[in-house]
Formats: sequence, structure tokens, C-alpha cells
Amino acid sequence: MLRILLINDTAKKVGRLKAALMEAGFEVIDESGLTIDLPTRVETVRPDVILIDTESPSRDVMEQVVLVSRDQPRPIVMFTDEHDPDVMRHAIKSGVSAYIVEGIQAQRLQPILDVAMARFESDQALRAQLQARDQQLAERKRIELAKGLLMKMKDCNEEQAYTLMRRQAMSRQQKLIQVAEQIIAMSELLG
Amino acid sequence: MNELPVSPLAWVNGSDAPEKTAINLGFMALSDCASVVVAATQGFAQPYGLTLNLKRQASWANLRDKLVSGELDAAHSLYGLIYAVHLGIGGVNANDMAVLMGLNQNGQSINLSRELQALNVTSPEALDRHVHQSRARLTFAQTFPTGTHAMWLYYWLAAQGIHPLQDVDSVVVPPPQMVAHLQAGRIDGFCVGEPWSASAVNQNLGFTLATSQAIWPDHPEKVLGCTRAFVEQYPNTARALVMAILEASRFIEQSRENRQSTAQLLSAREYLDAPLDCIEPRLLGEYADGLGNRWQDPHALRFHNEGAVNLPYLSDGMWFMTQFRRWGLLREDPDYLGIARQVQQLELYRQAATAVGVASPDQDMRSSQLIDGKRWDGSDPAAYARSFQLHAMSDSSPLLASR
Repeated sequence: MLRILLINDTAKKVGRLKAALMEAGFEVIDESGLTIDLPTRVETVRPDVILIDTESPSRDVMEQVVLVSRDQPRPIVMFTDEHDPDVMRHAIKSGVSAYIVEGIQAQRLQPILDVAMARFESDQALRAQLQARDQQLAERKRIELAKGLLMKMKDCNEEQAYTLMRRQAMSRQQKLIQVAEQIIAMSELLG
Repeated sequence: MNELPVSPLAWVNGSDAPEKTAINLGFMALSDCASVVVAATQGFAQPYGLTLNLKRQASWANLRDKLVSGELDAAHSLYGLIYAVHLGIGGVNANDMAVLMGLNQNGQSINLSRELQALNVTSPEALDRHVHQSRARLTFAQTFPTGTHAMWLYYWLAAQGIHPLQDVDSVVVPPPQMVAHLQAGRIDGFCVGEPWSASAVNQNLGFTLATSQAIWPDHPEKVLGCTRAFVEQYPNTARALVMAILEASRFIEQSRENRQSTAQLLSAREYLDAPLDCIEPRLLGEYADGLGNRWQDPHALRFHNEGAVNLPYLSDGMWFMTQFRRWGLLREDPDYLGIARQVQQLELYRQAATAVGVASPDQDMRSSQLIDGKRWDGSDPAAYARSFQLHAMSDSSPLLASR
């Protein structure tokens, strides 16, 4: 039976993934301890597969585990080493990173990945909705308009107007387009 | 697939419109991502027909995987990370990579705990004595096995006579967690970028023992990285991206007010999510080490310096390969110069710099003197890599210290 170390340090609900993997007949060890202890834990638990959220900051610690293990008889590698790039791309998109001990056959990994990816993909869809939509090209025209208004108001040149707008935007933790919209709105108000 | 144009005229005569107009741009929450964030949010890319979508990443490994898989088009990257992927060191297979430009120099530091201060370990000499005489083994953290912070930490320790892989333990800790681990006594020191060093000092949890600019004044640090395939497929996009970020870099350094408002922008939740007082002072070069010393640093974090920061010198890229070799991450000498020529996109950078009126010297190498008195000018990388007294080059020596 494959032993899976499930690293649990992000907001994702790993509990359900753990249950699903156990139902599928895997031994699952749920690790929610400290990132810094990860190398020691990997050594103690000796998992066959390590599953980790791609968004986890502990990914960089796993990187060290991979490098340290490369001189050992059964090194830990990221599963991409044995898989075709499409599977890797799909997994990363779904938010799953898997590290395996070399010697585990790729087909034995597939059901684990299927369960993990199905679990994480629902989270991913939600995240995609929250992601900011691409900026419109129209933004540029609005910025140009605001710059022109500001040049008139402040009697300054183009570069000075841009600098004023950018400084204002950055000091208020805003994008340039937001300050441009404020200038346009104010100008309309004062007519 | 498009060939890279050989001279600026080649693309001036043809169309220079970007082949791809929406760019996913990765970054890590560090003060030195400033030029990328300013370029994307302050309208520097629109004039070139580009929309930059910022994507904050939780780890360098994730940023790397997304660059390689194409989910990110380009990213604020550790110099060493780009070369590690290109050379196939670490968790992914080798993939041809490219450095489009340097994003910054300087501004990282090595910090120790208050516990070590209580033992009077407040100087390099005292640390050397402590490591070699005390029974307690110290643990130092850095941010990525092949990253710049690992290399600065190793270089600095070795320059003090401390073998970074034998005399102390070295662990990876994500930057935002450094201070908490230091406070809990799980690590004794760390090397990291801002705002995390200033944060340790401001919270009175640690002190800065050495800045990275003390190791190498004006050292290369983060770069704008992407895959080789991206540059080849979208050369106009890549050039426009460099132009936008070059202009943002110049803007940040145009005045003190611009630097201050940059710091304010960075502290926002969607970028660094860190207090302004941990970002602004060191961005302005105002250092306090937590031991009562204050100074205006002549080699503080720099984004432009009239283009000197941004030119992707071959010797800068080669240096990281010499250190990979020195510490056993590379088991034999790579073709240092040949690889640097593939990775560093000098031609494309010079076209972009010329287009926005930034000087780009003709030299492909630069010469620097490092903290141990050694000079690095890129002329004999294999000999340079072999010239260090402390190293891990023999196959029998441990690759990396582990806990």
C-alpha cells in the first residue's frame, strides 16, 4: 500500500481529500506541523508520495528535500520527472504538486492524482472567478483624458502630469487608472 | 517561430507590435519586486499595447513551475533560480530559460537572533569563534536551495572561515516566516530580502550583521525571467515588456517622493502586505542594524542607476554557475560562457534600452571585488570556481547540509 504524506498548510480543505484518498485505499499521513521540520518529517515518515498544494509556501522547503535526497538510493523527485508535461500542466493548474520516491510506477500515482486534482479543481474554479479580469485597452484612453485635464488644471507639461498622477496613485495604493477616473469625475463635477 | 532580429533596425522597419498583448507577470512579496508592480499598476505598459496582469506567488518553486508550464509569461525571479532550471538542478527537468533584464541590485541581508547577541556574537569574528568553539550547532535559514540568498549566506560564511555546509546547518524557510522562526528559536540567523530583515530589527527580534552589498557592492539580485521559448515566440512582446519595466525603474528613482510613494504602494495588501516602516527606510537607503548603528547606505537596493542595474551582464549570470559548482550543486564545469550567452538576452535588452533612451554599455562583462578580496570579471570562470579554500566540490562531500 502506498503511503501518502499530505502537507496541509494552506486554506484548502485537505480533510476531505484525506478521506477520499483513504477510501481509495491509501495510507494517508496528514502533516500540518511546521514547515521547517518538513525535511525531518519526510525522513521519519518515509512516504512514497508527498502531496502538496502548489500555493503552499512549503514548496521551497520540498525543493531542499529533493536536492538533499538526490544522492540517496531512492531519491525524491517531483512527479513531472516521469510524466508527460500535459499531466504536469494540468496538475499545476489544478493546484496539486506531487513528489514521489523514485521507483514508484507512474500508473500507481495516477489514481492519487485523479482524486487530488478533482478535489482541488473546485477550489481553483472559485479562485479563477476572484482573479481580476484583464484590463481593457480603453484604460489607456481614460488615462490620456485625465492627463490632458490635469495639464490644463495645473498648467504643467505631459511628463509632470503623469508624475503627479502616478505619485497620487501609489501613495493611495491605487492603480493609475483609478486616479485617472477620479480626475475625470472631479472635472465633470466642477464642469 | 520568429527569429530574434539582429539589429534594432530590423524591427523598426518591420512591425514591432507585440505578438501577445496580455502578460501574466509573476512576483514574490518582496520590496525588490517594486519595478514590476509599478510598471503593471501605473500605466507604463499600455503605450506599448501591453496589459500586465500581476500574479503573486506563494513560493519560488511554484513561480518556477508556472514559468516552465507557461501559466506565467515572465516573472520577478531569483538569478540563481533561472540558471538552476536551465541547468536542470532541482525539482524540474532542464528547460531553456532566459534573463530579459536585471530588476535590482543590493538590499538583502544576513541577520542573527537576540540570543546570539546576548552571547556577544555581534561581529563576524565572534560568530567564527562561536561556531568553532561552542558545542551548540547553529542553524541558518535561506529562501531557496539555488537562490541568491543561499549563495550570499554561503559566500559570507565562507569568507569568515565558516563552512556553510559542514560547520552549520542550512535550512529553507519561506521569507514571511523567517521572523517567527527566529523568535521561536528554531533558527539562529537568516539571509533574506526586505522587508523581512527590517521587520526583524523593527520588532526587536534580531539584528543585521551583514548586508548583501557588503559581500558584493552592487551585486546582481532579481531578474526578469522567462522561458527561452517565450522570447523566441514573442520577441516584440518581450522587448515591450523590458521597455515598460525599464521606464518604471527609472521613474522609481527619479526622486525621493517617487521612492516614498513606491513604498506606500508596495505595502498594500495585494502586494507585500507589510507595514510601511519595514519597507520605506531601507528603500531610501536608511539602515538601522538593531545594535544602535544607523547609516545611509551608498549601495542600498537599486532598481535602475541609469541602466547599470538592468543590463544583463554575462559575468553576472556566470557568477551563479561558479557558485553552484563551488558548492557541489553542479558536479562538473558547465560551458559557463556558452550558457550565459544563451540565457542573457543582451541583444533584446539593448534594443529596448535604446528605444527608451537608457544607456547600455557595449561591455558584456563587468568587474567587481567581493568581500574576500577576490576579483570577479568573468574571464576564467572554471578557475574562479576552483579558487576557493572552502567549497564542496569533491563528490564525497555532502551536497547540502540537512537537519
